Amino acid sequence: MRSSLKEQIGFFLRCRIPIFFSLLMVLLFFMPIHSVQINYFRPAIGLICVYYWRLNRGSLFSWGSAFCIGFIIDVYSSSPFGVNILLLMLVNGTTGWLARYFQAASFNVRWLIFSLSALFYMLIKWLFLMSYFWDYLPLAEITMGYFSTVMFYPLIATINAWVATRFLPPENIDEQ
Amino acid sequence: MKRRKVLLIPFGELKTFFRRLFVAILFLIAFFGILLSNVDSLVVSAVDKVIIEVTGPAMQIVELPARAIHRIYTYFYDISHIYADNQQLRQENKQMMILQNKVRTLEVENQLLSRLLNYTPPPEATFVSAQIIAESGDNFTHLLLVYIGDSEVEKGQIVMSNESVIGRVDTVGKRYAKVILITDINSKIPVIIERTRTRGILSGNNTDRPQLIFTRSNADIEIGDVIVTSGVGGMFPAGLPIGLVNKVNNDGSVEVEPIADISRLEYVRIIDYGLSQDSEFLNDFAEGLDNAQ
Repeated sequence: MRSSLKEQIGFFLRCRIPIFFSLLMVLLFFMPIHSVQINYFRPAIGLICVYYWRLNRGSLFSWGSAFCIGFIIDVYSSSPFGVNILLLMLVNGTTGWLARYFQAASFNVRWLIFSLSALFYMLIKWLFLMSYFWDYLPLAEITMGYFSTVMFYPLIATINAWVATRFLPPENIDEQ
Repeated sequence: MKRRKVLLIPFGELKTFFRRLFVAILFLIAFFGILLSNVDSLVVSAVDKVIIEVTGPAMQIVELPARAIHRIYTYFYDISHIYADNQQLRQENKQMMILQNKVRTLEVENQLLSRLLNYTPPPEATFVSAQIIAESGDNFTHLLLVYIGDSEVEKGQIVMSNESVIGRVDTVGKRYAKVILITDINSKIPVIIERTRTRGILSGNNTDRPQLIFTRSNADIEIGDVIVTSGVGGMFPAGLPIGLVNKVNNDGSVEVEPIADISRLEYVRIIDYGLSQDSEFLNDFAEGLDNAQ
């Protein structure tokens, strides 16, 4: 049965919720905290969102989505333009591969996999930026950022899960 | 009879091919973005400005609740410290009264000597107040996004709190500007130790304690020494306070504590000393230092 244009547009927009919601979360976590110390505990929200959506609703989260989130993060950062795009596309690719094995795993297992992957991604970024600037970047702040990212994962995952069940089309009628 | 040639590539394979091509293009854009950002590309800068302009209004809305919470916190914090603050202000007031008299005398003396030397004073500084609407979102960068409205701001202009230098303008859009803080790894500012006149470069290292580099190995540096801009490079005027020496390590490295408490800032001042046209020189200078390092 052919659905109406309005329904098709509605369906198209619902399929774009993961990317729009991720962008909103990323912007939300850019807001000023007015504390230098707490600033170091800012989680890498883009990393969490890309990992979550790619693992849980991979068909609604494309390479282009990861690119867009990385793009926004790069604009709001002073690191070389493209670093976060490359990193999040790497996250997208590797999580897509991991999804084959862990899509049906329990939440705790997914969290554990995330904590290990986040460590890997942050180390890559750290090494890349050190070689780019040819300068040593202190590990303490990045370690704090890593731990806050891991600690924030359950909260962001719960919010994302709520969005998925409330607004997204059921998995068996995904767009692709 | 001629046989018509038929395209025998199945649609599914074609779709996969284009999808892979699209992913490859995205990777190439990111890769070239990194290469171009190293040479201060106009393309990257223009894209940066457009995205900041588009997402800026959303950031302003997102920032509203954060500002309200911060104001409530500041209100109660100030009330709890009101007695101690009052005592401190009384003490400072006494010292200021003494200093005020000295300043008056020095001002008259300065005017007389300037006339004698036919000295041309530097241009008057003008400033724009800008509201902070976003901070950097990760631990790898230290920057602010500020709302400048219709004010004229240029790349390279100095950004100050009420007390001291906190950074410089990096990118300017129509209504928003990106400010690189003195703690960011990209920040290199020529400075001088006020007491001993020892020159150096204040280099951000992504911690809240930037380092003083390129000072003489036998330089006389003590904890508490005031670090001010040296004016070398032509972008910042000389004598603006930045920080205090916090620690002198055994290996000769010096940690500096910024004077400004960035955590309590809601607004910053972008100051135009009419020097930002020379900012390219400082960039070259900083790059030269990096290469030398």
